[in-house]
Amino acid sequence: MSIARKAQAGTMQSSDLMVFVEPAGELVIEIESTVKRQFEHLIRTKVEEVLRAEGVKSGRVRLNDRGALDYAIQARLETALARAEAE
Amino acid sequence: MRVEVLGARDLDQARAFVEAQGLAFEPDFDDLVGVFSGVTGGGQLAGVGARRGDVLKTIAVAPSRQGTYVLGAIVTQLVARGFAAGHRSLFVFTTPAHASHGRTALLESGRGLARWLDAHRELVRQGSNGAVVVNCNPFTLGHRHLVEEAARGVDTLYVLVVSEDRSVFPFEVRLRLVSEGTRDLPNVRVLDTGRYAVSAITFPDYFLKSTEDVALVQMELDVTLFARRIAPFFGVRQRFFGSEPYCETTRRYNETMHRLLPALGVEAVELARTAAGGEAISASGVRARLRENHLEGIEELVPPTTAAFLRSQEAVAIRERLRTSEGRHA
Repeated sequence: MSIARKAQAGTMQSSDLMVFVEPAGELVIEIESTVKRQFEHLIRTKVEEVLRAEGVKSGRVRLNDRGALDYAIQARLETALARAEAE
Repeated sequence: MRVEVLGARDLDQARAFVEAQGLAFEPDFDDLVGVFSGVTGGGQLAGVGARRGDVLKTIAVAPSRQGTYVLGAIVTQLVARGFAAGHRSLFVFTTPAHASHGRTALLESGRGLARWLDAHRELVRQGSNGAVVVNCNPFTLGHRHLVEEAARGVDTLYVLVVSEDRSVFPFEVRLRLVSEGTRDLPNVRVLDTGRYAVSAITFPDYFLKSTEDVALVQMELDVTLFARRIAPFFGVRQRFFGSEPYCETTRRYNETMHRLLPALGVEAVELARTAAGGEAISASGVRARLRENHLEGIEELVPPTTAAFLRSQEAVAIRERLRTSEGRHA
């Protein structure tokens, strides 16, 4: 799967997150989180796991996290990637 | 709950709601969204928020609905729309209830400032450096004199050209004329200000010539952002600026720099303007000449590089715009 266009998923509600993806020459992951200090490494691991599973090699992936749990991160990211896919 | 993009019909209700929360309703926005309570029509407004470019503003939630999903619903809509409109970073101004100092706080979502600094990392030089922030609409001998004088006393001088495109000379042209007009100065580096100095973010009223107090708050924010985040990155110890005989807004901005910069570790250095024929050289003087199509002797006011541009085919459209428009930066 590749990121062919801009897409987003999720909300800014507490315990949720918003995911923004855009095409880019390399793979860039940017994480903002209300719990960044404690959990950034775990969030990043989850994001990398999903990207690997989906076969995404490049693109700018930005998360604005409000304390979401693993499965929410996975679901929002998968949805954003599906929306970013070429038709 | 319904989140709606508000149209003209809802404007009065939104305005009344916002004013009831003690905020001023600003009519200029790209998006205005509202959250209504109740599933069907006829619900009361529970919250309102607006977006203008990359700034989220006029965000108000009814006291009884604060701490609920209402704020998140508004922000989700605005952020989604801002992203769709092409903004990677979004800003919000707030009262500094949670900030440690100052009269306002500017919050950025997205790594915009870090990205902007990163993009200029290769320009960073060790040493005792200086900076000027200039609009250069267009680049004159006055600017040239300021840059020359400033460059003399520092290891590297950074010339930050205002990126905001609200002047008759487009940003690309202003940047190019500054670069060409300072190319012979070996320790001068020219760069853009991004969104982080004298922009609609840090300094909205600069372009409106407001004399209200809000302008002063914005100036303080602009100067503080420069001193705390930009100057340390570039090793800037001195900020240079020209004395201001004409413009009240710029004069107050200079005062603000004198007042705030030293305590933040940056020396404020005001340099006298250069005169030509008994009058201080100003870009507005150059524009006045252009407006009258009076290019004769323009070399007394601008360097050869700018003069060549003004006489070029490329400048025809700009000169035409000048003749037909008015306004402070026209």
